[in-house]
Amino acid sequence: MSAPLTARIAAEHASTLAALPPQLAGGVRRRAAMAALAADGLPGARDENWKYANLRTLERQSFTPAPLDPRAAGAAAPAALPPRLAGFARYVFIDGNFAPALSDALDAGPARVLPLAVFESESAPPPAHPARDQRFALLNAAFATDGAAITVAAAGAARIELLFVASAAAHSGASYPRVELRLGPHARLTLIERHLSAGDCASFVASAVAAELDRAAALEHYRLQELDDRAVLFDSLSATLGADARYALRAIGSGALAARSTVEVRLAGERAELTLAAASLGDRQQVQDTYALVEHLAPDTRTEETFRGIAAGRSRVAFNGRILVARAARGADSRQSLRGLLAGAQAEIDVRPQLEIYTDEVSASHGATAGKLDDQMLFYLLSRGLDRETAQRALKWAFLGDVVARIEPPPLRQQIETRLAAQMLGGTTFRELL
Amino acid sequence: MTGAPLLTIRDLTVSVGGKQILDGLTLAVATGEVHAIMGPNGSGKSTLAHVLAGRPGYQVTAGSILYQGQDLLALAPEERARRGLFLGFQYPVEIPGVNNVYLLKAALNAQRRQRGLPEVDAFEFLTLVREKMQLMQMEDSFLSRGVNEGFSGGEKKRNEILQMLVLEPTLAVLDETDSGLDIDALKVVAAGVKSLRAPARSCLLVTHYQRLLEYVVPDFVHVLVRGRIARSGDRSLALELERRGYDWVSGAAA
Repeated sequence: MSAPLTARIAAEHASTLAALPPQLAGGVRRRAAMAALAADGLPGARDENWKYANLRTLERQSFTPAPLDPRAAGAAAPAALPPRLAGFARYVFIDGNFAPALSDALDAGPARVLPLAVFESESAPPPAHPARDQRFALLNAAFATDGAAITVAAAGAARIELLFVASAAAHSGASYPRVELRLGPHARLTLIERHLSAGDCASFVASAVAAELDRAAALEHYRLQELDDRAVLFDSLSATLGADARYALRAIGSGALAARSTVEVRLAGERAELTLAAASLGDRQQVQDTYALVEHLAPDTRTEETFRGIAAGRSRVAFNGRILVARAARGADSRQSLRGLLAGAQAEIDVRPQLEIYTDEVSASHGATAGKLDDQMLFYLLSRGLDRETAQRALKWAFLGDVVARIEPPPLRQQIETRLAAQMLGGTTFRELL
Repeated sequence: MTGAPLLTIRDLTVSVGGKQILDGLTLAVATGEVHAIMGPNGSGKSTLAHVLAGRPGYQVTAGSILYQGQDLLALAPEERARRGLFLGFQYPVEIPGVNNVYLLKAALNAQRRQRGLPEVDAFEFLTLVREKMQLMQMEDSFLSRGVNEGFSGGEKKRNEILQMLVLEPTLAVLDETDSGLDIDALKVVAAGVKSLRAPARSCLLVTHYQRLLEYVVPDFVHVLVRGRIARSGDRSLALELERRGYDWVSGAAA
């Protein structure tokens, strides 16, 4: 990152902090993050893990958060919200700020949901983010004033939907959605994290999710990125799993002009298990870039990683899946299946598996392919009378099946399929494909 | 038996990857006829089947194919299919994620649109498919599975015949549908092919062995050697081949 950019962020940070109400909690976190960011800097195009991310937009970006008042910013929001999902408590955030009028009550069930500002006023600041590639998480931590803190008590179970609505255009302020998750021993949480736009707007969003899963906790996490196709998103996800914890992460990214997702999961306890299934869809000029680092740090930990990306138009879709097996992770098991589909002559796709193993007792397999639709499959469908366009759509749909099929709640899957079908298939009679 | 000409192949020469496979093949199939194309490995049998279906990568360097009086080679593969030409593949591809019932319905509707008919009624369609599945001894669960996904060799072949039965082609080209089948599966496949035999339909059976022909008796048998028809006859030709081996005709054609 250029020094002038760092200086500008620091200046905007200083004036942002000066304008905040003095009683607002989280000041320690914001100042510590800014100090770390000033030392590390944001990544630049020469950073190997960032070469697909569109970092140029940062030069013209204002980092000052969008206004705190959700009523002003979110007047048009309710119409943009997706239908309610039965059984899920819903919490809505407009430009990163909690919108109680659009949300369920913050009741004290097995899951405690608190606006971050309230949470931070009650508890000690969380430890600083581990460095690695979480520098956009630092940007988030430096500016975020609100968000969701979710704590699921030992053996508790909850289903929660978080909607992050971007309504501000970038020139009127950035949006910093922030989620802090703590799952107690044997706790279970199904979490939907959905990023969308209210109306057409070129928002700038830097979101961060930090999750800690205690012993035998289970987190089923759906991340849906459906921002307006002029928005820019940098999202960071950092998770640490204790012994026997299970993390099922399903991510579908189809929106935004440029989206970069940085995922770092630490399998810190024995037998901790991650299943990551991600799909990215790029069209027109979109950039969909994902970097996923999984660290096996304890014995008998497991990872299963599936990626399916489709690049159409002039889009760029990248998935960099790095799996590290530490010395201590005897008996680790890691499987990776990364596939990219090139659906446009000027599109670009890059799927990259990286496996680093520092122990002997490990079982690992990985496969990565990038290419066009299979000619034999296409000819088979044509030979049955399907027109070329229909045949291609059917094959693209099938390609995503490995990820879409893993979305468990049926109404959620239906919503996602409807959106994907509208985007990919022009809304044709896709039901028959299912 | 002999009806109007349906398929007329004249002096067909075809190359694949620069290598000439068919060398001036001539063949006429009339409506209602069943022809068997036999021949040793590499004689061009499968090439003929694929050229008829319009598979990319096959260069027709000379000759012509008329189908229903039209220039078949000018039609895209999907247009050929909609005009009633069906290829039963020797090695049907697996397409996970596209389910069988979708493919059957989309294929049937593509044909119906071609004929100016409305889309098939959902109930009638399922009734039709179930009836044909029973004939092919296929389980109901098959419908919701991906096309050929995880199917055994025999199941794939039965699926080809099922598609054929649902689509009721005017010309069925079956490329070694009998290969790799045990005797029970062969009987099921043969019953399927036989059930489609009708005065309005023709069939080209491409096969290496004559055992399918015991169940589906052809009107004509042709022996293909080095890209052209070396000998034609009736069913007895297949039996004679079985007895004397392909060397007999290969030598004669040399």
